[in-house]
Amino acid sequence: MTTSNYTVLIIEDEKNISDFMSKALKSNDYRVITAVSGKAGLSLISSQCPDIILLDLGLPDMDGNDVITSVREWTSSPIIVISARTDERDKVTALDLGADDYITKPFGTPELLARIRASLRHSNRMDSNSALYIRPYQCQGLLLDFDKRMLTLNGEKIHLTQVEYKIVAFLARNSGKVMTYSAIMSNVWGPFTGDNNRILRVNMANIRRKIEQNPSKPQFIFTEVGVGYRMHEDENELP
Amino acid sequence: MKKTLRNILYTLTILLIATGLAFLFFHFVKDNTANIALIYILALILISRGTTGYLYGIFSSLFCVSFINACFTYPFFEINFALSGYPITFVCMLIITVTTSAMTTKLTRQDEIIAERERKLNEAEKERIRANLLRAISHDLRTPLTSIIGSSASYIENHSTLDSGEKLELIATINEDANWLLNMVENLLSVTRIQGDRQEVAKEPELVEEVVSEAIDRLEKRLPGASVNVSAPDDILMIPMDFLLIEQVLINLLENALVHSESSRPVELVITDDEHAVTFHVIDHGKGIPEVSLPNIFSGQYDSISSSDTRRGMGIGLSICRTIIQAHGGTITAQNHDSGAEFAFSLPKT
Repeated sequence: MTTSNYTVLIIEDEKNISDFMSKALKSNDYRVITAVSGKAGLSLISSQCPDIILLDLGLPDMDGNDVITSVREWTSSPIIVISARTDERDKVTALDLGADDYITKPFGTPELLARIRASLRHSNRMDSNSALYIRPYQCQGLLLDFDKRMLTLNGEKIHLTQVEYKIVAFLARNSGKVMTYSAIMSNVWGPFTGDNNRILRVNMANIRRKIEQNPSKPQFIFTEVGVGYRMHEDENELP
Repeated sequence: MKKTLRNILYTLTILLIATGLAFLFFHFVKDNTANIALIYILALILISRGTTGYLYGIFSSLFCVSFINACFTYPFFEINFALSGYPITFVCMLIITVTTSAMTTKLTRQDEIIAERERKLNEAEKERIRANLLRAISHDLRTPLTSIIGSSASYIENHSTLDSGEKLELIATINEDANWLLNMVENLLSVTRIQGDRQEVAKEPELVEEVVSEAIDRLEKRLPGASVNVSAPDDILMIPMDFLLIEQVLINLLENALVHSESSRPVELVITDDEHAVTFHVIDHGKGIPEVSLPNIFSGQYDSISSSDTRRGMGIGLSICRTIIQAHGGTITAQNHDSGAEFAFSLPKT
């Protein structure tokens, strides 16, 4: 995947953090533009049409969530929210408002690049609806064939229940991206399933017992505290 | 306003009861005004004791004197102040009222003074703990900051003469110290999640394996090469907890075991499950804990900044662990086994 065409907009008021991200992204062939306030960011989005937006939630002039709302009124460019670790509710709100993913301060360059890659990939898929999920998901010996609805680990078939398969398939299709509890639940059980995510988490515990060697050290499906789950990036899509 | 209303109600009720009793008495035992006066005196004492200020008492005594005069002395239903001994009754009632009221007022004021003094003492104690904590934290933060500033300054000043190995070494030091600072800050932030004086936390049912995997994941990011062996029961364990706080406890205990055991053998995290609680054991195979520091290991000896361990903020980390576990209604222990140390904490299932 070539990245040379992609433009990244960083909306962040802390100059040091903005600089560090610009440097990391520029050295990975992204074109970077920066804004230090929400208003400046919004006008850059309309004039420059960035391919992806990195948004700090704590801006001096306006609430980061308002930025997400007004951007989502007219563009589907992926937004990655930069947030502090302890604000689970803020993350969920931002994701509900239309942010694509989040990254928790402090973060390293590899993590940042992986998030950007995953979000760009999914936004591109939305554009070209063809051949959407044809290619199987593959990661460290785990292979999910969407056509045959079959999951194998190191060549051995793994028996999943209907619900378990739906959960794994949904996460695999969105691999590398965080999926909120509510997004997974409405995809698997349909809308109006309520707020209680206990059933999802018990199912997840069962899935882990089937695919992870040690559920306390998962290789494939990671927990995002208070937010949801993230499946390891598809190996075919790693750079 | 509310207090005035309460005082008035109280006064009226007592007067009503006393009057009722007096009428009963008057009805059954003729010509016994002395006892009726006694009933009213009792009522006056109760009123003066139970209300604030002198007003209600004085009003009541005026009322009582007039009422006795009118209803219970001959000629009935007429006020006649010319009765013999009447002024003495009146003066006595007034004196009783005023004295009792004065005593009550004084008692209330004394209670207030005592309460105030206790509050001030409490505040001073809290202030002292806070000051000690701040001092310890500042001390702990200054050490890595000094190293970060020193390393980066020497990089800037000498970048032309340093070889790449030396440069990498300086940067690695900065990175390590910054990571340590981050953990320290997260420890402190986690304490702010414990609410108020009652030290309560917001608990949600969480999967044990998820909190364990998160803790290990974050620990491995910070201490590359850290090796932890986990063994847990196969059952799905869901217990109520504040995820981030328990994660922090696990990170603190595991990091302690990795850093302080001075052993290359992996640390073990063993999770056991019984009827009422889930227990997490962090076991290392190192030099163990010095017997002298075992009894006070969780108390966070903020006062004594002495040992070399303060560099790693072990005292604060462990005392934060204890605060967190206690806020969850659990227990935390430390002991030595044959070849190292074992920390264990248990969380109740309900």
